[in-house]
Amino acid sequence: MSNSEVSKSALVKSVLAAALFAVSSLSFAAGTDGIGKPISEKDIAPWNISVHFDGDGLPPGKGSVGDGEKIYQAKCAMCHGEFGEGAKGYPKMLGETVEHIRELAQKGEDTVGARGINSLWGHAPTLYDYIRRAMPFFAPQSLSNDEAYATTCYVLYIAEIVKDDKLVCDASVLKATKMPSQDNYYTDPRPDVKNVRCMNDCSKGAPEVTGMAVVGVSGDTSRNEAKPANH
Amino acid sequence: MSEKNITMPVNIDEQAEANQTRRSFLRKSVAVAGGAVIAATAAGRAAAEPLAIPPTNKILGRGVVSIPYGLPSKFEAHVVRRNVEWLTPDTIASISFTPLQDLEGIITPSGLHFERHHGGAVDIDPSTHRLVIHGLVEKPMIFTIEDLKRFPQKSGFWFLECPANGAMEWNGVQMDSVQFTHGMVSCTEWVGVSLLDLMKAVGVKKEATWFFGEGADGAALQRSVPLPGAKDQFGKPISDFDANTIYKDIIVAYAQNGEALRPENGYPIRLIVPGCEANMSVKWLRRIKFVDKPLVTYQETRHYTDGMKDGRFRQYTLVNETNSVVTFPCPDKKMSGKGSYEIRGLAWSGRGKVKAVDVSVDGGKTWKEAKLVDPVFSKCFTRFTMPWEWDGKEALVMSRAMDETGYVQPTLRQLIDERGTSGIYHKNSIQTWKVQANGEVHNVQLRSL
Ligand code: HEC
Repeated sequence: MSNSEVSKSALVKSVLAAALFAVSSLSFAAGTDGIGKPISEKDIAPWNISVHFDGDGLPPGKGSVGDGEKIYQAKCAMCHGEFGEGAKGYPKMLGETVEHIRELAQKGEDTVGARGINSLWGHAPTLYDYIRRAMPFFAPQSLSNDEAYATTCYVLYIAEIVKDDKLVCDASVLKATKMPSQDNYYTDPRPDVKNVRCMNDCSKGAPEVTGMAVVGVSGDTSRNEAKPANH
Repeated sequence: MSEKNITMPVNIDEQAEANQTRRSFLRKSVAVAGGAVIAATAAGRAAAEPLAIPPTNKILGRGVVSIPYGLPSKFEAHVVRRNVEWLTPDTIASISFTPLQDLEGIITPSGLHFERHHGGAVDIDPSTHRLVIHGLVEKPMIFTIEDLKRFPQKSGFWFLECPANGAMEWNGVQMDSVQFTHGMVSCTEWVGVSLLDLMKAVGVKKEATWFFGEGADGAALQRSVPLPGAKDQFGKPISDFDANTIYKDIIVAYAQNGEALRPENGYPIRLIVPGCEANMSVKWLRRIKFVDKPLVTYQETRHYTDGMKDGRFRQYTLVNETNSVVTFPCPDKKMSGKGSYEIRGLAWSGRGKVKAVDVSVDGGKTWKEAKLVDPVFSKCFTRFTMPWEWDGKEALVMSRAMDETGYVQPTLRQLIDERGTSGIYHKNSIQTWKVQANGEVHNVQLRSL
């Protein structure tokens, strides 16, 4: 075998080996080929009902406070109250104003029960989004786009966010409606508290118990207000 | 019934056997007259009763597959999820709590995982269920469950915690039970597809700075999750940790503790967003959309925002910070006389691994570092233990965890000083249990803490 022949066959071998190696590494590479099907945005449309805070995603259509009142009294009032005051423990529509919530909080009072749509929804378009996707509770996604506009319009009215009882809501009206709490949010600044890892002499004097609980699930069922979940 | 036929004679035998054992035991103890018997008396305890042969030694048990899907022993019937009736108007938009007092190790059995639904748990046929991924992507795609199972698997042991865990305790002690003070957290081995692989498959565009998942339930629940470059609704950047690390761990899960997800936990698929508010781990997932701004929807304004003492609300408080609780002793598990015990508990952090847990039995005056039981995983339950010789006197037992970032679990006082008491969410403060001389254990709050 001549030198050139040797090197030629070595070359062939190494090319072959390289090719084999390439093939095997390729067939074991993590890929996503052939998994799933492409789908057009048009075909996704029935699911694509999300509305952003700025109104992006609001559909065409409209509905008035008056039309909304009829739907609300028929399909919502039993849980949320005739005037939006809440019923049977279900959430109220009209809560305390943002100003009053701030006052209560600054006085150290609890504000959890005081909250309503006027105190804690930053944007009218997301109210539309929520009502259309999740309400009425017993039949979610049953309102048409127009009905959802009308109901949203009425809820804004009973939550005392809009004053005009002749208002007709559509995408542009909801975008232009400024919610009282829009600027009452700020993004997470945590970690906000800093504890230190003290091991000895960590507190002065004897620890003082300020409260002891009475509701439990221990063997003592007389103190047991909670029951096993029915699942 | 056949069981009766078998056990009747067994019982007679057992009686005879017991008498014999007793006689021979008495003989022996008279003969030995020392050692163990004297030691037991010295310790002030009566010696154990002579042994009887257990009836189960003398019968045949059930055959295999008499219960094709195994269930817990009937003697464990008290180990169940529970709810608090007055908390919500119905059980459809409601929560149930995991019985942490009865769990060992770090895994929550799937049937005991806490539940939080906003429109009830639905039963979805996996053969008709689809996941759509679209928005700012090169090619919108739709996947069957089978499709998703062809992707490389990614799994992890991660806790899920409702950020409202402990919320009933902001204004003073309320629930005399660890199930209710801390049971909105569970820990599971989740298996599924990495979000990163799905992002590759659809070709997510670089303008995408958020995505949201959406459920196929009656609430059609949706939550926005930040990606690198994410800004809030006011144009302010989301923190580095939240925007640049959270998404890397995310999976679309189809399995839980070795089997398919349970319906209450999102069957057939759900998002798992490790370390974060469980509300983000959207159940019954039907859609993921890549977008360039958050939704700021119902679950991001009306709920899951934290009311502060100035009356403003914190938004996108996504991570569950370091938390821990002693699960023995606890109000649900009393002490049974003085002597040797092991204090046990769970610690977890949404920012990574638990680095250390300290335990105090004197109301926080002195602390001692507990043992962390292997394995210790990131964003996962970590079990800790501490041997304890209880002198039978009143004790105030508490645990304090620190995570790998150096963050030390705070006191309730520190949280309230900073935030007030109307935050609802993210109450990760140190829990105190009062052990009474009679062995009862109660939930208490301390002035200094
Ligand atoms: C059967 C009772 C029921 C009925 C009827 C009902 N809802 Fe609701 N609604 C609920 C529950 C429960 C929630 C809270 C759901 C949750 O926990 O996420 C809610 C929440 C809401 C909210 C958010 C309230 C807040 O806290 O800010 C709005 C808005 C709302 N519903 C509007 C409507 C409208 C409009 C209708 C009629 C079309 C309606 N609801 C019918 C039960 C009901």
